[in-house]
Amino acid sequence: MPFLSHGTYRIRYDLEGPAGAPAYVLVNGLTQYAELWGAYRDALLARRFRVATFDLLGQGGSDKPALFINQDDQVTALHLLIGELGEGPVFLGGISFGALIALRYAIDHGHRLSGLVPMSAFAELSPQLLLIGNALRTGLILGGTGYLQDLLLPMNLSDQWLEPLLDKLDSVKRQGWLVNDVFALQNLMESFLDFAPLTPKLSSIAVPTMILNGEFDFLTPRALHETLRVNIPDSSLVIIPRAYHAFTLEKAALTADLLARFAEDVMAGRWQGKQAVWIAPEDAGGELTPFPAGYDHLRAVPVRRAAT
Amino acid sequence: MSEFFGPLDSEARVPPRQQTRVSAFLVSAHGALARQFALALPARLESAWQTELNAQFYRESEIVSLLLRATRWVPDLAAGYMAVGWETAWFPKPAQGIPDQALALAVDLATRAHAVHAGIRPAALLPVQVDATDPFVMAVRRLEFESGRLLQAQIIMLKGPKLAPFRDAVSSALEARHSEVRKLWVEALEGIGIAIQRTKP
Repeated sequence: MPFLSHGTYRIRYDLEGPAGAPAYVLVNGLTQYAELWGAYRDALLARRFRVATFDLLGQGGSDKPALFINQDDQVTALHLLIGELGEGPVFLGGISFGALIALRYAIDHGHRLSGLVPMSAFAELSPQLLLIGNALRTGLILGGTGYLQDLLLPMNLSDQWLEPLLDKLDSVKRQGWLVNDVFALQNLMESFLDFAPLTPKLSSIAVPTMILNGEFDFLTPRALHETLRVNIPDSSLVIIPRAYHAFTLEKAALTADLLARFAEDVMAGRWQGKQAVWIAPEDAGGELTPFPAGYDHLRAVPVRRAAT
Repeated sequence: MSEFFGPLDSEARVPPRQQTRVSAFLVSAHGALARQFALALPARLESAWQTELNAQFYRESEIVSLLLRATRWVPDLAAGYMAVGWETAWFPKPAQGIPDQALALAVDLATRAHAVHAGIRPAALLPVQVDATDPFVMAVRRLEFESGRLLQAQIIMLKGPKLAPFRDAVSSALEARHSEVRKLWVEALEGIGIAIQRTKP
């Protein structure tokens, strides 16, 4: 894989697909690495997109600043990568920590984007997310990367995904454990110590935005995505059925299809965000259905929305 | 060249030559840290942070003891030659840009310990087929696990408020130490058929 240079640091990236084609840039979550987007690369290339993936500073094959990783540097790294894409349409997607970086990019450089897809996202640290984040950091410190993975796997993936892998979880975890270092993950987590909520800036995101949230995501639950939906003018929220926080791993075919359809709709002028709430199909290619009118999409039981 | 130890022997153990080279490097690095923590450790503790100094000294000593006993040592002439360079690298070098010499030396020790604890991952060299019950395997896994914990003292110090006015100097010293230790580690491994990624921690 080639490298970009940011100061003295190198950022490993991969770029595939025809020059000039509309591009998707995909940003990793905290413990991830670029290869985990492999299924997306294949699916999006087949639909004539370019696909760019990379390891954030502190991850995988990119350099790992020893003491501090500033989120601004991650945004700059992303900007460098998008600069490699030329002038064609650029759609930006990110998962979890990567969604946060994507949101920051859209706030700073939204003019360069044709569309934005924050997945399992947050713009602020709710008390629950703050405390879970602190506990995960403590877990990393006391138990290493493997223990952090042990915590994240059952939190973020379904029983259906985990059950056939129960006797080979070590091999599932191994590549992430190999390419990620305790100090670098800790630096990534500690980049939130001076984190200021993005919520007041979300309204400046003018590009079409499709917000994806797993039905059962309790790490970044619906309310955190609602902040994005309410504040980003040309947005809609799409709930992925039976999905947890890491649905990009578990439901890659469905999610890649949603990404492609979103970009195709935007480029064809069909996209209408309207801050609507949708339910994604169970499988790739199915129809999205509007969230039932009159019901509160922030609840887990069918409660009618309070009259306003 | 491989990213991992091997080829393993018929009992899925790491070849003695590779064990020897890796342990020689680790004993040198952790032994130097143990010596310098011992020198810094007062006979009677007067500050709370010195309890951590005590812990660091004994954990480093434990790592050295463990490696000495768990490794299947064989003669390694190149390691003897390389050890001169290793030991020279561990000499104290007060961090540049910090006028207080005592503080500059403390930063130097912390940066070196950070580079060793954070940047050296011998357990990541173990292939999946290795015998997990082999003493050498257990030893390097334990060493890497303990390094992650020992590292916390260095992180707390280097990120702490006392060094905030010297953040650039500290970051430069730390990046330089990481590069230096990483280079020595990569060279030690290359001589035994192991090639690891040269990205910069």
